[in-house]
Amino acid sequence: MAFIIPSIFIIVFGVAAIKRVNVYNCFSGGVESAFKFTLSLLPCLAAVFMMCELFEASGLSAIIIKALSPAFSFLGVPEELTKLILIKPLSGSGSLAYLTRIITENGADSYVARCACVCYGSSETVFYVSAVYFAGLKQKKLLRPIAISLLSALIATILACALCRVM
Amino acid sequence: MNAVFCTIFIVSAAVLAFAAPQDFLTSLLSGARTSLNTALTLFCVYAVWMGLAAVAEECGITKKAAKALRPLCFKIFKSKNEEACSAAAMNLTCDLLGAGASTPFAVKAIGEFEKEGNAYAQKLLFIINCAGFQLIPSTVIALRAEMGSAAAADIFLPSLVCSFATLAVSVTLYILTEKISSKKCRKNNGNKRKEFAAHLKDKERKTAGNGKGAAWRS
Repeated sequence: MAFIIPSIFIIVFGVAAIKRVNVYNCFSGGVESAFKFTLSLLPCLAAVFMMCELFEASGLSAIIIKALSPAFSFLGVPEELTKLILIKPLSGSGSLAYLTRIITENGADSYVARCACVCYGSSETVFYVSAVYFAGLKQKKLLRPIAISLLSALIATILACALCRVM
Repeated sequence: MNAVFCTIFIVSAAVLAFAAPQDFLTSLLSGARTSLNTALTLFCVYAVWMGLAAVAEECGITKKAAKALRPLCFKIFKSKNEEACSAAAMNLTCDLLGAGASTPFAVKAIGEFEKEGNAYAQKLLFIINCAGFQLIPSTVIALRAEMGSAAAADIFLPSLVCSFATLAVSVTLYILTEKISSKKCRKNNGNKRKEFAAHLKDKERKTAGNGKGAAWRS
C-alpha cells in the first residue's frame, strides 16, 4: 500500500510539469493556504483542548466513559474511542484534538489508534456541515437527514473497529 | 458546539473547584500548550496535502475529474440545472480526492438546487457529504506518519471499505425513507381531496407539488 502515496505525487507533479504549470509556485501557494487554515484553526483548538483538560481533570470524563463503555464494548468498540465518537458530529477541531491524543497515548500503530483513524476518516461533523450548508435557506426539515447521517456514523464506527481487527 | 462547550466547561470547572482547585489553572495551561503542539503537527500535514491539491487544481486534474462525475450528478440528483450539477460534481471530486476545498462548492450547489425547489437533491448532497467518502484518507495517513507510525498507509484499505459501506447505508436509508414519506404524503393528499371541496384544490395541488415534486421528478 505504501507505494500509492508517492505515485500520486509523481503523477500529479508529472502532469503539471507536462502542462507547463509553475509547480513550485502552486505548491507553495497551497502551503500558504495550509498555514492560514492552521492559524484559523488554532483558537478553536486551544479552546477545545482546554475544555478537554478540564473535563479530564475533573474526573467527569471517566464517569461518562464508564457509563457508556458497556454499550460500546458490546458493539466491539474500544472505550478509548468513546469521547472521539461523542465529539465527532459536533466539532471537527474537537475530534481532531481527541484523535491526536489517542494516537500519542496509544502509539500510532496500536489497534486503538488505527480504529480511531478509520472512524475519523469515515464520518463527518454532521451538525457543523448541516449548519454551513443550509445556513441561507428557509425550508429546512433536516431532522431525517441528520438522523440518518448520525446512524451511519455509528455504523461506520462499529464497522471500523471490526475491520481494523482483520485488516 | 457552543452549548456543549459551555456545559462541559462550567460543570467540570465546578467539580474541579470542589475537588482540586489548584489543578484548574494548570490544566487550562497544559491544554493550551497541547493545542499549539497539535497545530504544529497539523500544519505539517496540511502543508503537504494542500500543496499537492493546489498543484492538482492548477493543472486541471480536479476539473477533469469533476467533468467525469457530472453526468452521474444529473442522474442521482434528478436535476436539470447545469450550474448546480457542476458545483455538486466539483464538491464530490474534492471530497473524493480529500482536497479540502469542497464546502464552497457544496454551498453553491445547494443554493442552485434551492432555485429549482429540489429539496431531495439538497438533502442527498448533504448526506453524501456527511458520509465523508474519500479515496485516500490523506490527513489521517499523514498524521499517523507524523506521529511515528511504521506503516502509516495501512489504514487505507479499512478506511476505503468502511467509508464506502457508510455511504451505501446512508444513501439507501435516505432513498428508502424518502419513498415512504412521499407515499404517505400522497395518501394524505388523497384524504384531503375527499374532505375539502373544489375551492381548496388549487392550494392543495401546490402543497403536493412542494412536498413530493422533488422526489417524483425524474
